[in-house]
Amino acid sequence: MADATRDTSSDRGFAGPLERVDECTWRIPKSYKSGMLVDGLIFADERLIPQLRSDRAPEQVANVAFLPGIQTASLAMPDIHWGYGFCIGGVCATDPASGGVVSPGGVGYDINCGVRLMRTNLTLADIQPVLVQLVNQLLRDVPVGVGQGGRHVFSPAELRMLMQEGVPFLERRGMATAADVALTEAEGCIPDAQPEFVSDRALARGSDQCGTVGAGNHFIEVQVVDRVEDATAAAAFGLHAGQICVLIHSGSRGLGYQVCDDSLRALRDAPAKYGLDLPDRQLVCAPVESPEGRHYLGAMRAAANYAFCNRQLLMWQVREVFARVLGKPWHALGMELLYDVAHNMAKLETHTVNDIQKTVCVHRKGATRAFPAGHHDIPDRYRDMGQPVIIPGDMGRASWVLRGGPRSMERSFGTTCHGAGRCLSRTAATKMSRGRNIQDELLRSGVVARCRSREGLAEEQPLAYKDVDIVVDIVHRAGLSLKVARLRPLGVIKG
Amino acid sequence: MHEIFEHTADLGLRLTSPTLEGLMTDAARGLFEIIAGDLAQIRIQPDSDERFHVSGTDPTWLLLDWISELHAAFELRRMLFRSFNVTIDATGLHATAHGERYDPVRHSLAHEIKAITQHELSVVETAAGWNATLIVDI
Repeated sequence: MADATRDTSSDRGFAGPLERVDECTWRIPKSYKSGMLVDGLIFADERLIPQLRSDRAPEQVANVAFLPGIQTASLAMPDIHWGYGFCIGGVCATDPASGGVVSPGGVGYDINCGVRLMRTNLTLADIQPVLVQLVNQLLRDVPVGVGQGGRHVFSPAELRMLMQEGVPFLERRGMATAADVALTEAEGCIPDAQPEFVSDRALARGSDQCGTVGAGNHFIEVQVVDRVEDATAAAAFGLHAGQICVLIHSGSRGLGYQVCDDSLRALRDAPAKYGLDLPDRQLVCAPVESPEGRHYLGAMRAAANYAFCNRQLLMWQVREVFARVLGKPWHALGMELLYDVAHNMAKLETHTVNDIQKTVCVHRKGATRAFPAGHHDIPDRYRDMGQPVIIPGDMGRASWVLRGGPRSMERSFGTTCHGAGRCLSRTAATKMSRGRNIQDELLRSGVVARCRSREGLAEEQPLAYKDVDIVVDIVHRAGLSLKVARLRPLGVIKG
Repeated sequence: MHEIFEHTADLGLRLTSPTLEGLMTDAARGLFEIIAGDLAQIRIQPDSDERFHVSGTDPTWLLLDWISELHAAFELRRMLFRSFNVTIDATGLHATAHGERYDPVRHSLAHEIKAITQHELSVVETAAGWNATLIVDI
């Protein structure tokens, strides 16, 4: 770069109050800042406190507490880290009936970024002999990386139908099964999407990106179940030790980023119009029940449906690669979707607040819905177990399958963590990789990694992330979501 | 002058310049360094010119909208720019950017930028000129 990169992490930490509430919860009292309407509550334990204090994420938790109509507390999950406006790992529920707002920053640019896990009937012994060939073929056939368009190109009219209908649009075209639809959050279609609110620029950015991974922290990973923690739930989810699975992490690509950008631009005058005093421009918002709020939610839902379709087309391409390499049709390989879940979304949901049942707008930014057993929004086959929750870790250690926990509704508006959470900045991770070959290191630990860009592996190396086992341990102990199975990476493609 | 600073998951640009036009030029160069790497190392030929106009008078929104337009030029038309002529008047920012289309044989790409954020966005006039901060979402 033209000028030296400056390490600013030391002067960007959080020195404010963190009061311990219980073994897994820490409070930022609303007295911390004038303007906070509720406390901040962060799920963490002592192991994460030094990391928690090292960046500005807790300050962002406090800032979110300014949002009109916020209910109970501004929440953050243990994978919390510094974001823009909201922290990553943030959860905020607002009450539309009392002027509650919706904030595009509470969803993020990558609307409905999320993960889906596909199980197979393959074992480690089946996959090891062809693993390198398989990962190389995935890299060749599945578009991944900066600037990579896909083979599925949609006209503006087709994109509007896709955004209205979600994954059922692909089912009609033979690129999704009925089971794929049934096992996607909201059956792959958020109702009340308004594609007519999506700009021409967003349509242009999204025309050839449905079915592409992208870059940054997005990936496709071949994994093996290395430990089952809850045999009953694992059996219900169709998982067993030694089984091969595929994890896909991506979102709404350029279309969703542009929808967020357009919405932030449209909301520039909202603070003055609605008398909002916000501590960060990126928290800009409007009442849910306002023309601006309804416009954003309509466009956001359209982008969310695009994201479900993106992950569906990625899964379809992965099935084709496995079939080609292993010489059997994908259905003969048992390549069935376990579940697809969003972790960047705003949804109107029913929750109980102070013993009153009400509809609230739940913002989850880097946080996963985790409804407990019995909830009507969980697919029939999993309802007795709780919603499957899929937590990607890093490419060297582990990922997890959890299930919605018994305390998630009372403690976190039915929410849990979304990943390991970064602990190193991209520049720090790059510096740490100098003189090392991350690809070789991963190979020595049993992971075949392929990455399109020179920066990708360095910035996304395992040490750039917190230990996902610790993060998952906290949400388990807090009762937000419960451990079902741990998965270990075998092969990964990244941008 | 610009420097790229650390943000946990994303990247930021810190800018200083004696003039607002210089600040906008430095921000543009910083953007394409994040996208494509060190501009001194990669060969972007000035084969193509594109003209930009961003209306407005608030320097903060001008910076955001100008860099967002350049980002869109890359996202929609795969344009990489390396030099810029920027003027600012009462109607807004006018610029000509010089560069070429991304060529996967000759160019490498370093980061996919999702968007230019408003988080900690600031443009401040000082006794010595102008300072700005801009964070991009990776």
